[in-house]
Amino acid sequence: MSDFAIETEDLTKIFQSRWPKRELKAVDAISLQVRRGVAFGLLGPNGAGKTTFVKMLLSCAHPTSGRAKIFGRDSRETGARRPVGYLPENHRFPTYMTGWGMLDFYGALSGMDAPSRHRRIPELLELTGLDERAWHLRLGKYSKGMLQRVGLAQALMHSPELLVLDEPSDGVDPVGRKHIRDVLRRMEERGVTVFLNSHLLQEVELFCSEVAIIQKGKLALTGTVEELTSGSGYRIESEHVPERLETELRSRARAVAASNGSLQLTFATREQANEAIDLLRSNQCAIESMQRTRSTLEEVFMRTVEGSK
Amino acid sequence: MNGPIATLALIHDTFREAFARRVIWGFFGCCTILLLFLLFIMRIDVVAGSLAAVTIFGKSMPTTDVQNLVRQAQSVIAMILYFAGMALAVFASAGMISAVFEPGRIELLLSKPVSRTHLLLGRYAGNLLVVTANILYLVLGSWLIFGVKTGVWGAGFVLSSLFTIFIFAVLLALIALIGVLWESAAVAIMITWAILIITPILAQRSTIERLLSSEWSRDVVRVLYYALPKTSDISVIVRDLILGQPVQSWMPVWSTAVFGAIALALALWRFERRSF
Repeated sequence: MSDFAIETEDLTKIFQSRWPKRELKAVDAISLQVRRGVAFGLLGPNGAGKTTFVKMLLSCAHPTSGRAKIFGRDSRETGARRPVGYLPENHRFPTYMTGWGMLDFYGALSGMDAPSRHRRIPELLELTGLDERAWHLRLGKYSKGMLQRVGLAQALMHSPELLVLDEPSDGVDPVGRKHIRDVLRRMEERGVTVFLNSHLLQEVELFCSEVAIIQKGKLALTGTVEELTSGSGYRIESEHVPERLETELRSRARAVAASNGSLQLTFATREQANEAIDLLRSNQCAIESMQRTRSTLEEVFMRTVEGSK
Repeated sequence: MNGPIATLALIHDTFREAFARRVIWGFFGCCTILLLFLLFIMRIDVVAGSLAAVTIFGKSMPTTDVQNLVRQAQSVIAMILYFAGMALAVFASAGMISAVFEPGRIELLLSKPVSRTHLLLGRYAGNLLVVTANILYLVLGSWLIFGVKTGVWGAGFVLSSLFTIFIFAVLLALIALIGVLWESAAVAIMITWAILIITPILAQRSTIERLLSSEWSRDVVRVLYYALPKTSDISVIVRDLILGQPVQSWMPVWSTAVFGAIALALALWRFERRSF
């Protein structure tokens, strides 16, 4: 039994056009491991290769080289996709189906027998917050938000161990987003691995514990959200700092902010922060607070994307 | 086992889509009109095994032997079904095959634990069954009406429907291949209709060959004749079966079957290798 829900090894996809002869490396030798049971976010600007990467994971697209494994099995094997629930981006569910009928159809394709499907469908439609009146309504009449909800229900239909979600809250209002996040949190608590591909950095930061950033088809950064957003500096807040000392500290600090007699100094390293505290204390300055500064995931993302340009 | 459940789901889905697109209602309506025509408009009075009178729209028609008349009428229905019905069936099915390859729909299907071969064959079987149901409705319905009205119960007409289903299965394999290659219902319809139009011309190859001056052009006609499905030649076999006449050659049937098998195999091979 593999410890990893997803493993890729030098996964590469090159799109070729014959006339004019041109090549586009959409995914460039990505090796990634996603542990079982974690909520993992895949980030990257538009055209970075995220969707192609996901399509190769699910065998919708064939890799040019390299390989992908799902729970230790080659993703090209039909059986490897059994524990996977997937919600694609820009999905086009058949509009002639009803919400109920759609879950029944995709449940059957996942190998569920009729009694199990009929037990599971109302549970999921309720879980994803779809009004009972909509259950037997054609999908053509659904709003974007309702389609996302029924799409999520479809992905959960056969109780998957791995959920691959491409922009799951696209077109959903803030209340609906929170609802979807709560549903996913419940899945994570049950040990389901959630692989989230989203443009909404705040959403990924709120939900995922690990992330990877893809830029121009390459893996630019990977790690836990905690690691990636912490450790960028130390902030000290002090009051009544003499002018001479303030000038001295300003020359050492990475950033300085002053307001109402209070001085906020940010230092790059712990050593610099400790030296500043020694100086402040030796000048009888009161220290209001000291804390490690954190970056937002958006800042990390921007630094990574800008840095690899 | 995922196999039978998935197969039934794919077939059921095709029927559901056919209902939603009004394909089944369209076929069903046309077939019902034809059956009602036979039931009410054509009045046949039989006395001691011979026709006493045949009236259509209230006008008397010349009478011959009952069996002969029924067989002639059945062969007309079979030909209408064979050519007009086939053109309609191709028109209706092309969209239902190519719709599966739409972006946003195909990815979800491919993410399920069902092989690509299974997915395409399931859709193919669903389409074939939709058309088969309608062909059998018309053929069995008219066979019953003729049987009850005249007492003629020949099996040739019912058997002929199998050839109509067979030729549709071959054309559907071509539609599937075009769908996998270009995802276009319009291209599938154009190419399949072109075959329906060109094959009766190619069936006259001995006449055409006499009219052609160069040997290479005669070779082209021969290659096209043997390579393409022989819809026209099979229609002759269908008519012979209904009229109780011996079939001259079964070559058109097996060579058409080879064409269908190759088209379906190519469709499956290409679908297996394609990235979506």
